[in-house]
Amino acid sequence: MKVYAESPELMIPISFESTEVIETGKWGFQKPYTTSMIAPCEEACPAGIPIATFIYLAGEGKFREALETILKENPFPGVCGRVCFHPCESVCNRNQYDEAVSVNPLERYVFDTTMDLSPKLNPAPNTDPKEIAIVGAGPAGLSCAYFLALLGHKVTLFEARKEPGGVLRWGIPEFRLPKQVLKKEIQRILGLGIELKTGVRVGKDLSIEALSQFDAVFLSPGASRGILLGIEDENLIKIWRGIDFLNRINSGEQVRPGKVVVVIGGGNTAMDVARSARRLGSSVTVAYRRTKKEMPAISDEIEEADQEGVRFEFLIQPVKIKLLKNRKIRIKFQRMRLRKSSQEKRPRPIPIKGSFVMMEADRLITAVGEGVDLSWIPQALIEKEFLKPMSSLWNGKTKVFAGGDAIEQHRSVVTAISSGKRAAISIDLSFTEMNPEEVFSNIRVGSKGALSMEAYLRGRQTGIWEEPKGVVFYDQINTLFFAPSERVKKRRIDPGKSLRGFSEVHSGLLPEEAEHSALRCFSCGTCNYCYNCYFFCPEGAVTLDPVNQIRTVDFQHCKGCGTCAKACPRNVVEMRREE
Amino acid sequence: MREFITGNEAVAYAVKLCRTPLIAAYPITPQTGIYEKLSEWEASGEIKGIMMRTESEHSAMASCISASLTGVRTFTATSSQGLALMHEMLHFAAGCRVPVVMANVNRLLAAPWGFWADQLDSLSQRDTGWIQFYCENGQEALDTVIQSYRIAEQVYLPAMVCLEAFFVSHFMEPIDIPEQEEVDLFLPPFDLPHKFDIERPGFFVPVVPSELYRKYKHMAQASMDSVKEVSLRVDQEFKKMFGRGYGIIEPIMLEDAEVVIVTAGSITSTARITIKRLREGGKKVGLLKIRLFRPFPVEAIQETLKGKRKIAVIDRNISLGGGGIFCQELRAGMVHSSDHPLIYSYIAGVGGTDVTPEVIEKIVFDATRRNEPSDPPIWVME
Repeated sequence: MKVYAESPELMIPISFESTEVIETGKWGFQKPYTTSMIAPCEEACPAGIPIATFIYLAGEGKFREALETILKENPFPGVCGRVCFHPCESVCNRNQYDEAVSVNPLERYVFDTTMDLSPKLNPAPNTDPKEIAIVGAGPAGLSCAYFLALLGHKVTLFEARKEPGGVLRWGIPEFRLPKQVLKKEIQRILGLGIELKTGVRVGKDLSIEALSQFDAVFLSPGASRGILLGIEDENLIKIWRGIDFLNRINSGEQVRPGKVVVVIGGGNTAMDVARSARRLGSSVTVAYRRTKKEMPAISDEIEEADQEGVRFEFLIQPVKIKLLKNRKIRIKFQRMRLRKSSQEKRPRPIPIKGSFVMMEADRLITAVGEGVDLSWIPQALIEKEFLKPMSSLWNGKTKVFAGGDAIEQHRSVVTAISSGKRAAISIDLSFTEMNPEEVFSNIRVGSKGALSMEAYLRGRQTGIWEEPKGVVFYDQINTLFFAPSERVKKRRIDPGKSLRGFSEVHSGLLPEEAEHSALRCFSCGTCNYCYNCYFFCPEGAVTLDPVNQIRTVDFQHCKGCGTCAKACPRNVVEMRREE
Repeated sequence: MREFITGNEAVAYAVKLCRTPLIAAYPITPQTGIYEKLSEWEASGEIKGIMMRTESEHSAMASCISASLTGVRTFTATSSQGLALMHEMLHFAAGCRVPVVMANVNRLLAAPWGFWADQLDSLSQRDTGWIQFYCENGQEALDTVIQSYRIAEQVYLPAMVCLEAFFVSHFMEPIDIPEQEEVDLFLPPFDLPHKFDIERPGFFVPVVPSELYRKYKHMAQASMDSVKEVSLRVDQEFKKMFGRGYGIIEPIMLEDAEVVIVTAGSITSTARITIKRLREGGKKVGLLKIRLFRPFPVEAIQETLKGKRKIAVIDRNISLGGGGIFCQELRAGMVHSSDHPLIYSYIAGVGGTDVTPEVIEKIVFDATRRNEPSDPPIWVME
């Protein structure tokens, strides 16, 4: 007995050596590699926000880090968290499982909870900073300024109006985007040392030629001119342009549109106009020449307008306006029908011959689109088609770039931000010998046009341009590891109450709703330290360090069985054959 | 304390009295009675320890082995399919030299499906390195569980206590339940020399070279051999303390017997009455009960059967293509005895069929009548 107790190996074989001496890693022919990939939401976001990462951080309660993650790619989380048309959510892989992750409300939540914090922004060191002029302090101009400042350049921002913000300041009503949110974001941007000159209209107060003292110029004049209907008597005093109407409200003017208002148009401006008029006591009818399905406005906005008592009349188009003796106006509408066309995305409205409808109103407000005033730009520049995405043109030594509504692209806040980022990178590259097309291809986020500033900064600093990452599709997600869960419904103030003023309609997520929403994220292609690989590895070869965000595999002992890759719910582990 | 209880409950009482702190099991008819009783006591707090509800018998045995390697007493109970599922782990338990004790309620192995008494399930596991006892009734099952811990914990080999389905597991009999203090005296706390030591971590039973494997098997065989002597001694001590003893085999009326019936398990009780009746009728017949099957007590059997002419082994099991397993073992064991007798093989009671006194009489007369035994077994039908 005593002998056994002293040498238990006499009973059964026991090894007191660690099994680590056995290099099981030599047995396999493949090894797992951590491969962060692009989530569909990140590819769809024109600003290329690392959505999975910021949602992971938000889910961990690390809101400052989440904010700083967004700010790497988008200087406007508070704005976009409210007014973005969020293409991220419509492509969310979770749509195919139950419902999309609430990316947009989470972005807003991250901003709202960090209102009192000053995030750390790290402008890159630049030994040869250039001086750049930006004309127009809207979302595109401010973004371009922000990213140029992050790249270490010196920026002067010229703004014709008395305050910066462009459409965010003068267009979008307060009930969708509170001014204090915008103010906070602009302060953060200008805090990078950007010089802002307000009340300077380039082309009038300052000649465009005067900008040739700068190394580069970025033009983002914005679309501030209401497009005309193109019918008789359009300039009657009873007819307002939607964009002017919104501008007057946002300037603090007491505007009285009248008892009965007719709005023409189907875009976001039309919705903002209709909803603003409702708040000013008018009964409002929106007339649109196609049907609800074809309206270019964000569907949430259409629905909210409807909830707020805005009436809709579809398939009519104004053809004649008459001022009546009782100071009202009579609008004659042509009835339309839709004709599908294989060439065009949207069906074309066709007049129904002899079919008309009449409407009487105190006011007609048109919101059928906005144009960009280019009259102050030399014809030569426009003829050479510089107002196209990514174009650059050499004017002596000064390089001229354009963005925002001035270039041909989908008009939205986030696309304006995206064009500002693209221009900032283009400008930075124009001072180098690098081929912009090549660089763009290396720093793209998926293949829908978004660029990664983080990837650009890394490549610029190290000279190493990594291969762009692939996008994770739904069938690459291991849904066995997720339980179905409901998306948090948006909460809004009661429509009756919201009509009493211009206070924000939507209340943000509650803390528990934000946590629930963040934890619903599949985190496609981004490791969120779920520990599946760690627990499933039969060799105990995986080490995870969530604090420093490092995942390592002990290749001396990894047999290459691939269990970790199968067990990874989000396609972060890739097995590669060894040569 | 004397209680009117089933064989299953008797086994449960034994486990409780042995203060087994870890029970890992999976329910299966006809063993479930043991499991249920222990669960009740766990719920009421009458037994202290952990009852693990595992997802399979394989896991139950794996749990018992692991727990046992920490130096605690363990128990499991199973039957037929459950025991077959455990097979791999049975070898492992013996190889790990752990004194796990298991009750196996002998039930036929499917297919066809059935629940009835048949000893093939445990006999199929004869080569796994487990000590095996076959019990005649509930009292013996209770006593054998207690003895098994004592034996297993001396030789560091697992022990299986077999009792037949329904005939023993469900029959109610008046059973003496020993006092706790007495059992505590008989069965002191045990210690495993090779238990896990957190202070000195090691990897148990790793890959070994051929020679080392042979060495451990050789040592285990020596330990297994010693069980014959150890269990005899334990049984004697048990008898001294509790007044009941069984031996490893039991010879009954063998003195001048011309035919000796050999049985294991519950058929023994019927055979006792039958030979008594035949003796009264002038027939010189005896009975040998085999209680310890692994290790097979060859020496004791040879000694006991010395000079006997005809041996008739009754097997409640059939190894297809081989025959009755007790008979195989007995024939093999008697080969080197000086004047080895004629050994007749009878298959009776397979699939839980009733082995009545008439069936046993039939066997006695058949063996008397036949000059030479046949190699294939003789199936006895009612």
